[in-house]
Amino acid sequence: MVYTQKSSALFIIGVIMLAIWYLADSGLMSPYIEHLAYGKKYKYLSELTTIPLYFGIVAAVIGLWQMLGKHQPGSWDYYSSTIAGGMFILLIAMLVRWFVAPEVAVVSMNMGKIGDTGKYLHKLLGLNYIVLGIVIGIIIVNVFKVPLWAENGVRLSRLGLKSGVILLGTLYSAAELVNLGGLSIIMIGFFVLGSVGMVLWMGARRKIPNSMAGVLSAGLGVCGVSATVAAAPVVQAKSVEIAYTIGTILLWGVGCMFIFPIIGNLLDMSYVQFGAWAGTGILNSAQVAGAALAYQPDGIETLKVAEIFNITRVLVLPIIVLWLAVWYVEREESVTEKVNVGRVIFEKFPVFVLGFILLFALSTTGIFAPPQHYKGKYFGNTADKGYKESNLLKAETKALLLAEAPKVQRDDRKAALQRLIDNGKIMSVSDDDAIRGLINAKVMSKKVNKVLKKAHKSVRHTAKKVKAFRQWITWLFAFGLVGLGMQITLGSMKQAGGQPAIIGGVVGFTKASLSLLVVMLLISETI
Amino acid sequence: MTSVENVLLASHGTEGSIAAAHMAVRMCNKGAKLHHLVVVPTLWKGMTGDDWLNNGSTRNTFRRYLEGQLGREIDEHCKEISEDAEQHSLHYTREIVVGEPEACLLSSCNNSNYDMVIMGSPRPKGKSGIRSRMPTEPLARSLSIPLLIVPYPNE
Repeated sequence: MVYTQKSSALFIIGVIMLAIWYLADSGLMSPYIEHLAYGKKYKYLSELTTIPLYFGIVAAVIGLWQMLGKHQPGSWDYYSSTIAGGMFILLIAMLVRWFVAPEVAVVSMNMGKIGDTGKYLHKLLGLNYIVLGIVIGIIIVNVFKVPLWAENGVRLSRLGLKSGVILLGTLYSAAELVNLGGLSIIMIGFFVLGSVGMVLWMGARRKIPNSMAGVLSAGLGVCGVSATVAAAPVVQAKSVEIAYTIGTILLWGVGCMFIFPIIGNLLDMSYVQFGAWAGTGILNSAQVAGAALAYQPDGIETLKVAEIFNITRVLVLPIIVLWLAVWYVEREESVTEKVNVGRVIFEKFPVFVLGFILLFALSTTGIFAPPQHYKGKYFGNTADKGYKESNLLKAETKALLLAEAPKVQRDDRKAALQRLIDNGKIMSVSDDDAIRGLINAKVMSKKVNKVLKKAHKSVRHTAKKVKAFRQWITWLFAFGLVGLGMQITLGSMKQAGGQPAIIGGVVGFTKASLSLLVVMLLISETI
Repeated sequence: MTSVENVLLASHGTEGSIAAAHMAVRMCNKGAKLHHLVVVPTLWKGMTGDDWLNNGSTRNTFRRYLEGQLGREIDEHCKEISEDAEQHSLHYTREIVVGEPEACLLSSCNNSNYDMVIMGSPRPKGKSGIRSRMPTEPLARSLSIPLLIVPYPNE
């Protein structure tokens, strides 16, 4: 069978990308870019004048070959058939990131701030390029259908997300990984075991079949659809039970992806708090990444926290599947097959986590940034280390900080703030950490926080390789999530119902609200 | 009751469609042809769409399991109807296709000269089962042969 479609689609995608590049590079798009920038600096200009050029050439050349060339069955044909769909997702991600999301922001800012929240609608609802990308993906698959020539490539989105997680390994410091890992093991351990137990208990009370209770407990307890897929064969779930479970999880997951950032914004949660909450409370792992990037689209601190929780969940998955297998065999007399522990662990082990660990290990050797750099960032408050004297605080800014200094409670933060006021710049790494903590704590006014952020940014410089990784990670997640959106069908979400919907509602709500409480009470602003 | 010689039965194992199957068997004359169309809805294709954490092996295991499970459920359903049809001396044939139920039914109708299409009525609210409802009004408009919708069985 020949998989590569003889279609002009990929060539047209390439031409569209090249047209975007030409319009941006030649300045013909400048008035529109000014409109999107809304009086600020348009932050995607460097991307606009490079990325569509490179990918446009690749798409146009391969597109021409796919359209005019002869294709033979084989491995190369299969890989070639994925390019059009991959480029299709990429084009959507580009359009949403560069044009759609900024346009939504302009419309939202023109509407003014919403009531007492002091926030614009798009900020409050988290309507950024990630969320809009997923929504557009969902619209494409459900309204227009994914074109035949793009079907194979759309599945590449999984590869994008896994590659994103693997690359994320370069951005953790050892201390951060230890702290976040410890926290996630406690939180995930408690909530996963708690929700699996709760589903099994509720299932017994409501007299649902063991197969349904088993598949539902994995899906609701561990990591959503992925856990359902892993557990269904083990507990011999019926087709309708699988449909109910996946439908319930998808509906909850997509709902949570929109609702969580709104709640996070209303509660002014720190990035660590939100990442931990999303990583624990959202049933489906795909929507965890979506919600984290929705909450903080232009930074990856939230994503870093949320993904550690996701990784912990997926590492727990083989254990839970094993538990359910033993649990099911004990309860079903008809099942005589013994559980092969080694096989279950081996088959369900998420290999991509090894890639994450490998890149983390490599980054600790200093291959990407010198070891003394913290998370690829280094401190420099002198001209020879990249500090610009123009960033020194002015007298009126110092007065502003002084006026709000009494709001600070912690001694280390008080001292760091005082030294910033005295010297006009942050004086040491520990002072910078304290100032960062102060920013995340959100105890100061927005105006002061803006000054503190600027002071922090002027002394923290990112290593070039790490900066490139960050950009790649953002794009990989954007690509992956748009593609995943294209695989979320209303047909599968419509299956939510029956006992799984009732149990899912109770367990999902309990998990989300309890984890919010724990996060707000026990987790500090920084790790 | 009208007797028919060549019937298309659209049924996929729900209580409503089992009632339709029984009705179809009883309506046919001895020696009549009963063609059983089972449609596996395309919504199953979207069931693993959101899964990105698993490796290919787990996903393949799931796909094989799901195919097997759907196959077993369809086989059981077909066996029941086939036995019933045999008892009434009917020529039973079956066709299993993946697609949108309405399109598959119309396509099957166009490929043969059936006297009638028989199907079950939609599941009442609150009844468990896959949500893949076929809109009967546009279907009735598109068919050139009689369509019999058998009432849902009383509890």
